[in-house]
Amino acid sequence: MNKIGVLLADDHNLIRAGLRLVVESQPDLTVVGEAENGREAVTMAQALKPDVVVMDIGMPSLNGIEATRQIRDAVPGAQIVMLSMHSDEGYVLRALKAGAKAYLLKDSAEADLARAIRAAAAGKSFFSPAVGKVLLEDYMRKLQRSGLEDSYELLTPREREILQLVAEGNSSKEIADLLNLSVYTVETHRARVMQKLNLRGVPELILYAVRKGIVS
Amino acid sequence: MDATPNPDPASSTLRWVLLSVSATLLALLLMSGVLATSILDRMHAQQQAVTHALAARTQMLSGLLLSVQNYNQAVGQFVAQEKADRDEAARQRLDRLTVEIASDLKHYPNDRDPIETAFLDGMEGLFAQQRTLYISVLEAKPDERRRQAQGLISDRTSPLQKQMLGWSEKLRAWNGERLQQADDALTTDFGRLQGGLSRVLTIGFGSGLILVLGSMAYIVRLERQTRGRYVLLARSQHELQQLSSRLVDAQETERRNISRELHDEIGQSLGALLVDIGRLTNALGGDRPEVKAQLDNMKSVAERTVQEVRNIALLLRPSMLDDLGLVAALEWQGREVSRRSEMEVAVESENVPDDLPDEYRICIYRLVQEALNNAVRHSGSRTAKVTVGQSAKGIAVRVSDGGRGFDSRRARGLGILGMEERVKRLGGTFTVESEPGGGAAIVAELPLPPTNGNHS
Repeated sequence: MNKIGVLLADDHNLIRAGLRLVVESQPDLTVVGEAENGREAVTMAQALKPDVVVMDIGMPSLNGIEATRQIRDAVPGAQIVMLSMHSDEGYVLRALKAGAKAYLLKDSAEADLARAIRAAAAGKSFFSPAVGKVLLEDYMRKLQRSGLEDSYELLTPREREILQLVAEGNSSKEIADLLNLSVYTVETHRARVMQKLNLRGVPELILYAVRKGIVS
Repeated sequence: MDATPNPDPASSTLRWVLLSVSATLLALLLMSGVLATSILDRMHAQQQAVTHALAARTQMLSGLLLSVQNYNQAVGQFVAQEKADRDEAARQRLDRLTVEIASDLKHYPNDRDPIETAFLDGMEGLFAQQRTLYISVLEAKPDERRRQAQGLISDRTSPLQKQMLGWSEKLRAWNGERLQQADDALTTDFGRLQGGLSRVLTIGFGSGLILVLGSMAYIVRLERQTRGRYVLLARSQHELQQLSSRLVDAQETERRNISRELHDEIGQSLGALLVDIGRLTNALGGDRPEVKAQLDNMKSVAERTVQEVRNIALLLRPSMLDDLGLVAALEWQGREVSRRSEMEVAVESENVPDDLPDEYRICIYRLVQEALNNAVRHSGSRTAKVTVGQSAKGIAVRVSDGGRGFDSRRARGLGILGMEERVKRLGGTFTVESEPGGGAAIVAELPLPPTNGNHS
């Protein structure tokens, strides 16, 4: 079995060294390169065609979010694991919109990195448990203070099922196969979920799912 | 700038000089006015007295002459008449006229001078002579009388009469002369008065001129001083503004440096430490529980420290501003405030340019930060709203709450002054809309930066 090739992008040597140790300690993972900033990460991704890029957000020259967008455009096969200090939804949502599959907090990187890399390589979502917790807290507080109802209650069991599958990174076709439904039906359910939850686009849907603890 | 208690001693001296000159001038004018009035009064009284005396003398003199003439006529008639039975009546008439003449002479004003007295005495003497002559005539018999009379009148009385008339003429002339003298004295007096007044006027005019010149010099000097001070003030104000703007810049730069230092050095070292601890735990923890417990303890301490350092760094310089841009940073700020406080913050943004220069981003960010902090601390509101968008003038930022508000014309804390300062630095306008009980809103409008070039 082929090892998953990983490109590490972080502007701090110490962090990169730590990450490399974690990655190299896994038998199925290997580090194919290290980049010191976003611009370098884009160039190296184009040259090395890694399976996964572990990307720090705060980097000089070109930050991780922008670098992610460019890599997703130039090297569609490379999935991105975003590495950040922030569990704020502004970061999570923007990372998702840029095309990242996984979002890891640096605090827990060492524990979750291998799982995140594997999930991303398989095209699945992965989030640090702490991220979901923070997002949920924000969400619940908002609901409580504004006196609004949790729109999740409005979803039917089937819609919740599809919400989870979409959030996990499955395409409509995969979901249709999995649930034994037609692609058209899956698309209809998906549209209804988006409408009920007042969401625009898959990134917001994933964010919502992370917040509710549906995916992690 | 050194603040001297007496900025210009020379000007204060000049002030005193001007004051005393004007006081002297005023006193001079007042004195000369009083003097002139009193002199004029005296002259007027003098003139009136002279006129009065002259009128009395003239009247008396004409009365005397009339009486003498009457007397002479009466004598003539008496002499000419032939009947003796009328003698008594004519004699009585003559006696009456004699008394009249004597009283006229006596009634001549008493304030007569020696010359006048000599004239009057002379006249009295002449009349006495005339009378003696007449009396001798009167004693005679009518026919003898007629004979004597002709000679008497032509030889003796006529010259006497003429002499008397001459004397009275002389007296009249003398009186006229006296009037002339009095007039001359008056004219001299008036001339003196005129001279005195013109002297006073000359002095007054001179000192007035000095006063005017001095005042002008004083005013010019004051004007120059004022202008100088104004320029100085404007310059120092400008310098102050520059200084405070530089202060803000320096503060931001310093914050950013410290934040980066914290994040890059301490944060990353701690991060690396955490990774190492994790690996150690994996390697050793399984076999030795006491080592694992210690490593876990180390890990939690390191994690807490990382969190602390991160919070401090974020407070100093929100990395979202660099990583995600202004809107994301404001949304993050809103959520942070919502998490920390009882106030729920909603952030709305529309058409905010992505390539705003850093000073604009940091200005708006700090503005919102300060306004939200104020709202949390003072408003008592449960909600706040941040709106950022494009307006006619550029970028408009509005932070409002539904709290208890304040009197925006009076209460202006350092926070608000700081916000205003930041906005003004970028040429924007800043307003506070609030009244007690009506919530509060701060509104800032920043003109768009001149060129949207290569700003990071």
